[in-house]
Amino acid sequence: MGNNNAALTRSGSRALMRQPELREVVVTPVADVYETSEAFIVKLDMPGVDRDQISVSVEPGRLFVKGVMAAQHQVPANMIFREIGTRSYVREFNLGDGIRRDQIQAVFEDGVLTITLPKTDEVKARHISIK
Amino acid sequence: MLVRFDYPGTLEGLLDEFFAPAVQTSFQGYPAIDVAEHENEWTVVAELPGVKKEDLKIKFENGVLTISGERKPYELPQDARIWLNEMRVRQFSRSISLGAEVDADRISAELQNGMLKVVVPKAEYARPRTIEVK
Repeated sequence: MGNNNAALTRSGSRALMRQPELREVVVTPVADVYETSEAFIVKLDMPGVDRDQISVSVEPGRLFVKGVMAAQHQVPANMIFREIGTRSYVREFNLGDGIRRDQIQAVFEDGVLTITLPKTDEVKARHISIK
Repeated sequence: MLVRFDYPGTLEGLLDEFFAPAVQTSFQGYPAIDVAEHENEWTVVAELPGVKKEDLKIKFENGVLTISGERKPYELPQDARIWLNEMRVRQFSRSISLGAEVDADRISAELQNGMLKVVVPKAEYARPRTIEVK
């Protein structure tokens, strides 16, 4: 990685100028979504967030995820190189019918939030009939 | 009178830049990092979601801190149908040059919630000190 070390002395100064107020930045977290015969699984990269700073809410037709970065990762004044900063993660997904909304589970591990949305029996049955 | 602005880029900022210790890193890279200088140490924060402790390597050599490792894929059930695939599973390596004035034996690292924090203490002789006038 030696030649990757392009001189970027005090680049933090420039980074700070772009966002002089150090406002909280809202980021769309990177996501994976897949479907099995039993459920839909949504995975989101939300590094730097504490479990209790994450909210997952489900409304008819809509899944809403929000996370706020923990205080210890906030930008100190003597930052000299900054790419992460302090951020909030917000993302919304459309949900079809056939989700058992009372059985949705969310697990947060290694900065990745995994939401499992189990299908209702009717939806499962319909999938089997297509095959 | 020197007016102090709250943003860099002023005369002070320029002087700062001129006398700055050479912290160098690549312009763009993975993982994304934050580097901060404190009185007695440097802190480097790297964003590593989905990376396990055992798949991460941190090395300090010739004044260069290198964070490398691999994000391994999660287990995908055989019947899975993928609707969205934005996560990038890959090997990574990023180096940050902090200079040699570092107490390399006392470098510590912590991985929590997908965020790595490396604390690199400055060498005793490189720390700022106040000299008492007798």
